[in-house]
Amino acid sequence: MARIRTTDDTLVVEIEGLDKLWALKSRLEIPLENVRGATADPGAVREPKGFRAPGAHLPGVITAGTFHLDGERVFWDVHDGSRAVVIELRDERYARLVVEVEDPRATVALIENALTPSAG
Amino acid sequence: MVEAAADLFARRAYDGVSVDDLVAHLGVHRNSLYKVFGSKRGLYLAALRWHLEHRLRPLLARVRAAPDPAGALRDLATSPDRGADLDLLLLAMAERAPVDPEAAHEVAGALRDLDAAVAPGPHATAGAGGAARDPAYAPTATVLGLRLCLRAAAGSGGAPFDPLPPTRD
Repeated sequence: MARIRTTDDTLVVEIEGLDKLWALKSRLEIPLENVRGATADPGAVREPKGFRAPGAHLPGVITAGTFHLDGERVFWDVHDGSRAVVIELRDERYARLVVEVEDPRATVALIENALTPSAG
Repeated sequence: MVEAAADLFARRAYDGVSVDDLVAHLGVHRNSLYKVFGSKRGLYLAALRWHLEHRLRPLLARVRAAPDPAGALRDLATSPDRGADLDLLLLAMAERAPVDPEAAHEVAGALRDLDAAVAPGPHATAGAGGAARDPAYAPTATVLGLRLCLRAAAGSGGAPFDPLPPTRD
């Protein structure tokens, strides 16, 4: 599970609990200008994930760590695919993050609001 | 792909279209979808813009050129063939514009175009400038409301509405 928050110009992804060990990562900080969007996507977990290096992959139990697929590097931290959010990045080490969050809808709204210039 | 997405988003609510639906209907790989559009919202906005530019705008040009633009717009809304071309705009007005400033911007522009199409200046011809200065909220609201009623009636299993004569030239 990941906890996601935004500051004025940064997306902060904090990996919680033992997932830090499986994912070998406790925190990611991404400049908001490098965040292209976020999508609640329960189906993402059923996609091929490529090969893992490094991290843990026990199908149906946990997908955590760095995976390589089609020349892209994707960071995963998902136990329960129904709560997965896909965060697409640009000009970053990772092409995208697929992380499980407490409330996917609220997380997507949080990120979209941080990215979208206010109306007017 | 954007055209197919527009058709899908015109039939179902935004939240009712999952990435699984998009992948299945558009025949695109999930990773490609994210790579090209960034998110479901990114694809939605691209589909909405495509639809307004390539579907709605040509229809409004025909409406504007008709002898009776308000009547032509009403015919359009009730047409079994073309009426659905208003549905994505309707859904965008109801569910995305209130929460998404970029969707709201697109919707506001489309509504201005609708108003302008049915309220041209006196003896205006197609493409007459300044038509938007005299907005016709009532005809636009009536026509969109009419389309909403027809959409609801279609879902109730009632008889489809009678086809109307083709739009006059």
